[in-house]
Amino acid sequence: MNPFLAQQMQTVEAPGIDWGAILPMVIVFGAACVGVLIEAFVPKHQRWSGQVVLTLGSIAAAGIALGAYVSGRPEHGVVTMGTTLSIDTPALFLWGTLLALSVAAVLMIADRSVEPGGSFVAQAGIAPGTVQDRAQVQSTGMQTEVFPLALFALGGMMAFTAANDLLTMFIALEVLSLPLYLMCGLARRRRLLSQEAAVKYFLLGAFASAFFLYGLALLYGYAGSVKLADIATAAAGTDRSDTLLFAGLGLLMVGLLFKGSVGPFHTWTPDVYQGAPTPVTAFMAACTKVAAFGGILRVLTVAFEATSWEWRGVMWAVAIISMAIGAVLGLTQTDLKRMIAYSSIAHAGFLLIGTMALTDEGLSGTLFYLLAYGFTTLAAFGVISLVRDSTGEATHLSAWAGLAKRSPLLAGVFTFLLLALAGIPLTSGFVGKFVVFSAALSDGMAPLVVIALVFSAVAAFFYLRVVVLMYFSEPASDGPTVSVPGAFTTASIALGVIVTLLLGLLPTFALDWAGAGGFALGG
Amino acid sequence: MLVAILAHFALAAVLPLVARRYGRAAFVVGALAPAATLVYALARGGEAVSGAPPLETLAWAPVIGLEFTARFDELALLLILLVSGIGAVVLCYYSRYAKPDDHRTAARDSALLVTFAGAMLGLVLADDVISLYLFWELTTVCSFLLVGGDGVAKRLRTSATQALLVTTLGGLAMLLGLILLGTAAGTMRISEILADPPSGGIVTAALLLVLLGALTKSAQVPFHPWLPSAMVAPTPVSAYLHAAAMVKAGVYLVARFSPAFADHPAWWIPIVVCGLWTMLLGGFRALRQYDLKTLLAYGTISQLGFLMVMLGAGTWMSALAAGTLILAHGLFKSALFLTVGIIDKRAGTRDIRELSGLGRQWRGLTTLATFALMSMAGLPPLLGFIGKEVALEALFEGGTVDRLIGVGVAVGSVLTVVYSLRFLRGAFGTKPDMAPSAPVPCGRVMTGMVAVPSLAGLVLALAPSVIEPVETGYADRYGKDPGYHLALWHGITPALMISVGIIAAGVAVHRYAGVQRLGGYVPGPLRAQSWYGRSVEGLESLARGVTGRLQVGSLPVYLGVILTTLVVVPGAGLFSGDIDFGELRLFDNWLQVPLALLVLVAAATSLLARRRLTAVLLAGVVGYGIGAWFVVDGGADLALAQFLVETLTLVVFVFVIRRFPPRFIENKAYVGGRWVKAVIAGVAGTFVAVLAVLYSGYRGGIPEASRQYIERAEDETGATNVVNAIIVDFRAFDTIGEITVLAVAATGVASLILARSRRRNGTVGRPEPTEQDATDDTGTTETPEVRS
Repeated sequence: MNPFLAQQMQTVEAPGIDWGAILPMVIVFGAACVGVLIEAFVPKHQRWSGQVVLTLGSIAAAGIALGAYVSGRPEHGVVTMGTTLSIDTPALFLWGTLLALSVAAVLMIADRSVEPGGSFVAQAGIAPGTVQDRAQVQSTGMQTEVFPLALFALGGMMAFTAANDLLTMFIALEVLSLPLYLMCGLARRRRLLSQEAAVKYFLLGAFASAFFLYGLALLYGYAGSVKLADIATAAAGTDRSDTLLFAGLGLLMVGLLFKGSVGPFHTWTPDVYQGAPTPVTAFMAACTKVAAFGGILRVLTVAFEATSWEWRGVMWAVAIISMAIGAVLGLTQTDLKRMIAYSSIAHAGFLLIGTMALTDEGLSGTLFYLLAYGFTTLAAFGVISLVRDSTGEATHLSAWAGLAKRSPLLAGVFTFLLLALAGIPLTSGFVGKFVVFSAALSDGMAPLVVIALVFSAVAAFFYLRVVVLMYFSEPASDGPTVSVPGAFTTASIALGVIVTLLLGLLPTFALDWAGAGGFALGG
Repeated sequence: MLVAILAHFALAAVLPLVARRYGRAAFVVGALAPAATLVYALARGGEAVSGAPPLETLAWAPVIGLEFTARFDELALLLILLVSGIGAVVLCYYSRYAKPDDHRTAARDSALLVTFAGAMLGLVLADDVISLYLFWELTTVCSFLLVGGDGVAKRLRTSATQALLVTTLGGLAMLLGLILLGTAAGTMRISEILADPPSGGIVTAALLLVLLGALTKSAQVPFHPWLPSAMVAPTPVSAYLHAAAMVKAGVYLVARFSPAFADHPAWWIPIVVCGLWTMLLGGFRALRQYDLKTLLAYGTISQLGFLMVMLGAGTWMSALAAGTLILAHGLFKSALFLTVGIIDKRAGTRDIRELSGLGRQWRGLTTLATFALMSMAGLPPLLGFIGKEVALEALFEGGTVDRLIGVGVAVGSVLTVVYSLRFLRGAFGTKPDMAPSAPVPCGRVMTGMVAVPSLAGLVLALAPSVIEPVETGYADRYGKDPGYHLALWHGITPALMISVGIIAAGVAVHRYAGVQRLGGYVPGPLRAQSWYGRSVEGLESLARGVTGRLQVGSLPVYLGVILTTLVVVPGAGLFSGDIDFGELRLFDNWLQVPLALLVLVAAATSLLARRRLTAVLLAGVVGYGIGAWFVVDGGADLALAQFLVETLTLVVFVFVIRRFPPRFIENKAYVGGRWVKAVIAGVAGTFVAVLAVLYSGYRGGIPEASRQYIERAEDETGATNVVNAIIVDFRAFDTIGEITVLAVAATGVASLILARSRRRNGTVGRPEPTEQDATDDTGTTETPEVRS
């Protein structure tokens, strides 16, 4: 060996990697790469089955790896891959949540019985409205790239929630966002709407990422490091002017709040939720929210806890705006997907309240809320995908009139999910709101909780309107039909409903886990 | 007692099956649950009044302190008498009232009524905040479904929704109030909060919030309109929910908390004011009603106000009065509602202008209804009389404030006498100018069910010692027993004289018909119902307006919102602090000046460009300008990367733009909006630029890494140019990365071009991967800039 190289080898010390801890993420990313290879080398008719097996198998394997690691994990978490990833209890909880949610989402993506051939376009390159486009609507093929894309997004989300420095966080943000932009544009029907959604999401998302990056640069200028813990140290221990710190935090938060669809950075949400294929909407609504709030929690708790008095006022305003926009604008919606989108904006406001608490109760409450909300909203989108007429999904509210008379089971399930979103007791939504609000109360945010309660009442009104419509109206004679879901969608809705019910009745287990430990501050 | 609550829910779950098979007999089966509960509660009644009430708990989520607790004390026992007793009676009555062949309705209503009975039972037994709230909302939901019925008629839907909205809003306020109280007291157990009541500013707010819940649920002014609207429900439902049980929940809540907070001004003043107002307004409005049921509904509102006043007064005597009146009111009002049900069902109408001569046909029912009306008007020998005696005694024996309240109560009682007479004459009287209603039997079972509460009011009045331990047990929480006993005759007391006066005045007013014509009139704008309508409409139109303005689907508007927020929020934070721009120089090198001007001008003109290609080229100029800047600053490698990326982007753009129309959409109306957008873009750009200046002002000297590079460049790499040393040695891996990214991007563009030419030649490959690659590449071309 060249002596010069040998000398170099001694001085460069490879960063330590705790493979056990990051195995779930490695499995997901590895499977995503294999998925790309399947697209390249496997014949077209075998791709769907190959991708489904690979995707579900890898998520399951990641889940098993996670379970195996959790039982013997160090109490205060580990910082690994140099200092880039911090695998601590909140990260593990969020990983578990993300994996479980994406099982349900992937099942919906894979379903080919509700919409013959699946919700995804057969060939993305065909211009909408052409003869070929009408032919592809009838065909039974689908663009199976969506599976590796979903895995990449999932891997990005996992990295995002565990990122220990802002640069890793940024890269994870891009890794999770880029596949989502693409997936939004792949709807089989109403393709112009879908593509418009994708473009809007991409452009606004690119801006948000740029702000994040700019904020990162300012914070680096302030603290001389991108590590969250170092920023905290710098903020606590210097007499420097805080101008850079707060400008940086503000810009950083714009990027994060955008991903979490918190008002007033929510503008993309209704359009994208409506335009994207429903399984992708479900995936985004559940998993992106989890990842974004996981990131916000970590950034605020680890890096900015000491300065919370300075930024809390602004965050109050943001939370109030988000709840107000979600609850009030949701009232006028006539499209169910848009309505759930506004509901997600309102929920983002509620989540922000728990995030701001910066106490152990706030952390565990927000984590629990994310888990509960993710499953409920995922199952709600699953139900929405089942009500169809000749042009595809019938998402207009009027189409849902009197649905209970035609399909009592579906109406019952949807009612239950809406009640959970409204936060009625014995559903997970109630427990979630309860833990978040009580954490906020004990942290001295009583006025905010009052406002939140008022807006949850307003929001409950529009969920209720759908319930009233389903039960108390005569069905239209040319109304939509309710598809009998295939095994995949059934499984995914059932999973969502069962979790919603279980977390409502017996929340202890999940709460215990969510409250098992705080963020690892090491590194 | 928890078992009893669960039994209700379990029975409710199987009732639809029973109803499917046996139809309306399901109601009788359903009556078993409340009837058994009543027997069980009476059997254990001794424990409840013993002073150490039995307590049961069921853990739900102990981590966050969620558990169900039931505490069986005197107040709970008192309410259970009503909830379960009247519940059983109403269910039996409904089994005859329901249509025999409508199994669907029977299934729904029987299950819902039993669920409601269980929820109500849970509500009065609950000893922790969350169980209380849970059962509270469960009663609201049951009421919504029962009032809404099958929901086909719009009237049913709007009434049900109004009741739901008003009471849910109150319920949420109550939850918050209770949680605040619990936080202040450090416990979520109601009995513990009451045993050691907290104090302070937060407690005042909490009490007001709790009151809001109680006032909405018990239909107090100004939240009362939902109750008359809810009269569209089937009459047995009204008899149970809107007379005996659900509307008592608010009263119960006040009764539960009054012993601890009776002296708190934020507690008793709103209660007394709203209560009196409600009592008078309800009585006044009842005078004008022709619908017997609506008349009773206003009567209920009035009586609930009366109960609130007595609880708000907060003395031993007034508590005794309230306890007695709660029971009396539940008995006589349910008897009257059930009577109206029979009239409606058998005579075909409940409008007093169409009824005549029923009293002669149905002597038995008339007698029973008269007992109930006498109890309502406060005539001996009925329970209502005893209650009113105690109330008058309590108020007129007290101080000035109490006496003033007493005057209000006396006026309200006069109104009660008047509308009782109106009911009696309207329902059963024979009107001289009208043909008597057709003779039909009034039904033995239904009349029997009216008899139970009606006669109970008589029996309990004759033997008040039966209920006295319960009533005094509750009153003892307010202070020492002054030795008063419930009885029909206390000798000639001031209270008795006032009672006589009230009745005389009532009869006189009833005779003088002119007052009745005036009675009950409230000018339109003052009616609470129109305020409800207006607030619901207002919220909707606000929502529509805001949506129309904000969610227009236009990307520039969305971006505008984000940019504005961005400038305002961090900008405000930035400029509120002290800003130190450091040492500012205009330029380092004169070449920078023309380049900066070029970039600025190109950026500005790209906004004004009409053609797409022009805009793209101008954006390219911005990029090349910045590249040139790098050259001036000595970053040749950066400049190279920048030029390459710009070129690639331009090529991709040109390929895409070829398929678009050459010009942007021309629209005259659009021009005005363009200036707004230009201003927002300009402000946002300036903001970012200022940040950049600020940022560079904060850099204190050369960073450690740079110092090391300069120091070690010559020794370790042998290079005299530090930039070269960094690119090819210190950070060689980064360079490889950049090269790779550039290569991938170039490959992407090349494949795009090649794929197009191949397709033109007829050898069409799969079109979608190439397009996808192209999209990916435009995404990744950002990376080199980012990294640099």
